[in-house]
Amino acid sequence: MRRVTTTVTLNNQQVRAEAPPHYTLLRWLRDLVGAHEVKEGCGEGVCGACTVLVDGRPVSSCCVLAVEVDGAEVCTSRGLLHRDGTLSRLQQCFWEAGAAQCGFCTQGMLITASALLASGAKPSREEIREALRGNLCRCTGYQAIVNAVERAASAPEVPA
Amino acid sequence: MTEVLSPTIPPARFRVVNQPIKRADAREKIAGLTSYAADHELPGMLHAQLIRSLMPSARIIHRDVSRALEVPGVVAVLLGEDVPNNELSSGVPGQQVEIQAFRATSFVLATERVRYHGEPIAMIIASDEDALAEAEARVEIELQELPGVFDPEHALQPDAALVHESGNLLGSWSIDHGDIEAALGDADVVVEGEYATQFVDHAYLEPEAGVAWLDDEGVINIRSSTQVVEHFRDVAKILGLPHAKVRVIAPYLGGGFGGKEDMTVEPYLGLAVHRTGRPVKMVWSRLESLQARFKRHPMRLRYKTAATSDGTILGHDIEILADAGAYPLLSAYVLLYASINATGPYLCRNVRVRARAAYTNNTPCSAMRGFGGMQVVFGYESQMDKVARALSMDPAALRKRNSLAKGDRIPVGQPMLTTVWLSQCIDAAQAAAGPKPAPRDSRHVVGRGLACNIQPYGRAVWLNDSASAWVGFELDGSVVIRCGVTDVGGGQVSALAQIAAEILGVELEQVTVHFGDSARTPLAGTTTATRQLYMSGNATLQAATQLRDQILTGVAEGTGAPRDQLRMEPAGVAMPLGVLPLTEALAMCVRLGQSVQALSTFFGPRGREIGQQLATDRIYPDATFGAHVADVEVDLDTGEVRVLNYAACHDVGRAINPQSVEGQIIGAVAQGIGYALYERVVFQDGFNLTSGFFQYVIPSSQDLPEIKCVVLESGEGLGPFGARGIGEPPIGPCAATIASAVEDAIGVRLTRLPILPEHVVSCLRAPSVQGLPRN
Amino acid sequence: MYVRPFEYSRVTSVAEAAALLRHHGDGARLLAGGQSLLPMINLGLAQPELLIGIGHLPELRGVTRQDGEIIIGACTTYAALAAHEVALAHLSLLVAAIRHVGNVRVRNQGTLGGSVAHADPAAETPLVLCVLDARCEASDGERTRQIPAVDFAQSYYTTALAEGEILSQLRVPLPAAGTGWGFHEYSRRAGDFAIVAAAATVQCRDGAVAEARVGLAGVADTPVRCRALEAAAVGTKVAELDGLVDQIDADLMPKDDPFVSAEYRRHLARVLILRALRDACSRATEVQ
Repeated sequence: MRRVTTTVTLNNQQVRAEAPPHYTLLRWLRDLVGAHEVKEGCGEGVCGACTVLVDGRPVSSCCVLAVEVDGAEVCTSRGLLHRDGTLSRLQQCFWEAGAAQCGFCTQGMLITASALLASGAKPSREEIREALRGNLCRCTGYQAIVNAVERAASAPEVPA
Repeated sequence: MTEVLSPTIPPARFRVVNQPIKRADAREKIAGLTSYAADHELPGMLHAQLIRSLMPSARIIHRDVSRALEVPGVVAVLLGEDVPNNELSSGVPGQQVEIQAFRATSFVLATERVRYHGEPIAMIIASDEDALAEAEARVEIELQELPGVFDPEHALQPDAALVHESGNLLGSWSIDHGDIEAALGDADVVVEGEYATQFVDHAYLEPEAGVAWLDDEGVINIRSSTQVVEHFRDVAKILGLPHAKVRVIAPYLGGGFGGKEDMTVEPYLGLAVHRTGRPVKMVWSRLESLQARFKRHPMRLRYKTAATSDGTILGHDIEILADAGAYPLLSAYVLLYASINATGPYLCRNVRVRARAAYTNNTPCSAMRGFGGMQVVFGYESQMDKVARALSMDPAALRKRNSLAKGDRIPVGQPMLTTVWLSQCIDAAQAAAGPKPAPRDSRHVVGRGLACNIQPYGRAVWLNDSASAWVGFELDGSVVIRCGVTDVGGGQVSALAQIAAEILGVELEQVTVHFGDSARTPLAGTTTATRQLYMSGNATLQAATQLRDQILTGVAEGTGAPRDQLRMEPAGVAMPLGVLPLTEALAMCVRLGQSVQALSTFFGPRGREIGQQLATDRIYPDATFGAHVADVEVDLDTGEVRVLNYAACHDVGRAINPQSVEGQIIGAVAQGIGYALYERVVFQDGFNLTSGFFQYVIPSSQDLPEIKCVVLESGEGLGPFGARGIGEPPIGPCAATIASAVEDAIGVRLTRLPILPEHVVSCLRAPSVQGLPRN
Repeated sequence: MYVRPFEYSRVTSVAEAAALLRHHGDGARLLAGGQSLLPMINLGLAQPELLIGIGHLPELRGVTRQDGEIIIGACTTYAALAAHEVALAHLSLLVAAIRHVGNVRVRNQGTLGGSVAHADPAAETPLVLCVLDARCEASDGERTRQIPAVDFAQSYYTTALAEGEILSQLRVPLPAAGTGWGFHEYSRRAGDFAIVAAAATVQCRDGAVAEARVGLAGVADTPVRCRALEAAAVGTKVAELDGLVDQIDADLMPKDDPFVSAEYRRHLARVLILRALRDACSRATEVQ
């Protein structure tokens, strides 16, 4: 089987791995690069557990081929952490709001939320719900997550 | 928001417990550091995949795996004959006692017959997923279709195709309390109703998964997403091994909801490791999970309710028929819970319950949050609304009038042993709901509904339930808890840390919990039945209390200070003359030979084994009560129902972590709204057509309203610090609350779930005919 | 699901893609955004030998206005299209429909052309292109031809593209000044595929409809234009539109499926088409 080298900047670090061309970005991240924080929930792009940022845009990593993101910047929830390992403002808000129960949807939620907040806008709760509608959660009923995003929007990150 | 309303026991002041602390496990999950079952990797790890039946009812004519074995990288392809004990017979997961009446038999890999679409027939073990894909295409399985039965009523007819040779009646329960015939005769109104609930799926975000390996001591280790580490016994039995040669480890689960109570990947991983000696991983696809994983029992409920004109419920005559699917699993218990809760949180002096479960060739049904006690809420609360209407009585007043009180007996015979705050829950939910919103235009109508429920917590008493916990101090003053509890996301582990920190006077950050390991942690039983806070919480409370006593006794002896003037605090042991730092206190205890660790077992109440005719004065430890109010807006043209406003109130006894309690309530309501309006597993002649999340619709953030939570604390639960269980109870009232609200909006009661827009449209056109689709 | 391995070719031109398609026949599929194709592959519903990556080709991306038409490259993502000033200025109906498509991830990756070429009869954007009388440009690398959007989808997941042809552009006539638009759909959950969707554009004169274009998705094996309704609408006062709804009956050919009954689809079609028409009339500004 032919193998193709894909190189991305993953959470500010250059990462390179060889894989057959049919590997999705999800499989490439989990099986080859050790980014287990990205989860597989459905394989159809519906649940959002596999959401990552590619060049700043949230995508379903299960519905993107690794070979097609060569050279891109990829960000997962670990990439939101500060360099010293402390939580980003958004992550701190999630923690304080009780927005993670089983935590399986959390990585994808954080990525979608971070993209929503990146523009600096202060979305209403309805707008937050609309933006997050593609990330399914079965534990929280979403409310604590909406609380967390609302709070993070009102007092954005102070650069470390 | 957590309010404390008119408690019978004054609120206590707690330092750690009853505080909305931030959970340590949540931080790790948010940082992306938590390793779930599928995240584990081992050198030389193989991958395993199941081959499943594509037909719901068939004889297995032919199985040929030889071509699959030729694929490079394929290590083994196993059939039922390769399983040392293929017939899996188990009682209740995690129990030490096998109860004859509840023996459930299923197969690890089918050999002669398949009885449901998705039943496992073979397992491929290969070095990588590409070899698995190639091998799967080469496994030859020939099935000969057999007549199947797909409806529980049909299944119980004499000429029905048999799912099992012993007959299609899985089991039945009866309750006879008082004199129902007399009550029906004496009643001023008799209200009849038939209700039907649907198959639903747990739809946890984390599919079933695990990794297993053989360790240096020859023990098969299985690290899987399971609610029950005690399954090591079941795997050992399948493999013909001593129990101690299998170990089950449960990392943090990505959701359970009962779907990971029965074994999922464990028997297959055990078999694969046993066979190959190598590490093996198995992860189920969402397709497998939706098509083949056990579902919630659909139930048909027939009620005849007798009432007098002053609003007294005289009693109910109730029939329950559950579709158990192809194998028994936990059906007998689910049916039991349905039976004993079938009259709800009300005093009913005359009751007849006839409950049956039938085998069909549909997907087997087993545990799911609410466990039978949830389905019947739709029946009894629909009836309460009907009675209220027949008597022109306010539905809330009718419920309060008939509410159980402490000391009252439920129909099976058990008295309520703790206070019942149903009326307070109703008042609080109604107050929190606020004013009913106005519809957006003339083509929409708004209605408000109310429903209440009772849900037991803790296991049925004849199961002689117990849970153990070990609590100890490290010499640096930190605390370690070892407990077999599994954490499905509800903060089961974090609660134990809070309890120990409270008792031992330490900060929460000083507590480490080792959990979910059948070999290394004292067994605490299943994370199911809303039992874990009650059982492992109390075990931890006992162990921590015992440990505190040991420390203070040691310090009293070592310092001469009076024992009763010593207290444990974050800084150390507080004494009349100052504070002895904790490290010194511990060193003192060690010198004196006073142990700095404690192991304790908490035993639930015990009882006699029950018979088919249910009558006992203790069936479960205790119950949780609640009331929900919802406002819905109905689109008169499309039939869409939107939930505008929702308030849920439960008496939780004591909220160990109020934020977790709120999270449980809101999350359960979200699942309940899904059950009411969106979710159903769709079958066609036994073929489960529901293959993805685009078909199995769970609510998204945009489908749910802001949910208002009121948490009452009566302080009278049997759990630690007076807590009651809250995992299951809040899912119960939702469907009935929504149906009640829809009726208020459009004047018609929907009696089948889910309430789809097409059903609403049918009602609006012809109220007497509800346009019901076949299952 | 375990995915059968396939090859991938990142082509440098439409011609190269077309050549690969001709060479591999059914074994090759085009990959634009992958939001329809990759889920199918993940579920084992499609097992190609080769994916031909075209999403990056600059000649297939972008939005321009030219000679009374808006030209949209087939591999323009939903997100890029919905944010483009030209679309926002002139294609409000399309932008509105895109808001109903999936979620932010689908819209970041998924392309307009990918959706049209996939030809799911319940998809929103193919419906809108039919109502806007768009044209689909098909290219085999050498020659191009224009296929009216209304003729492009022939049945479920079947299009008028010949073997070796690639959908390269969507050409949408600039709506006339004063045209109003309406879009309504019902789906189980916001962002899901529509069960039924209705789209309409309308020009009004003297309080009555002067011209209408109306279409439905989810009621047949392709999107349908409701020609009888369109004809009957001319001259109808806005307040009397209800009376026209029977005109769509001949256009409705829904099938029963285990998840949604044909009867409910018919019902929804009538409800949603009226809503779309009324919205279109309220948005229309009078023309002379």
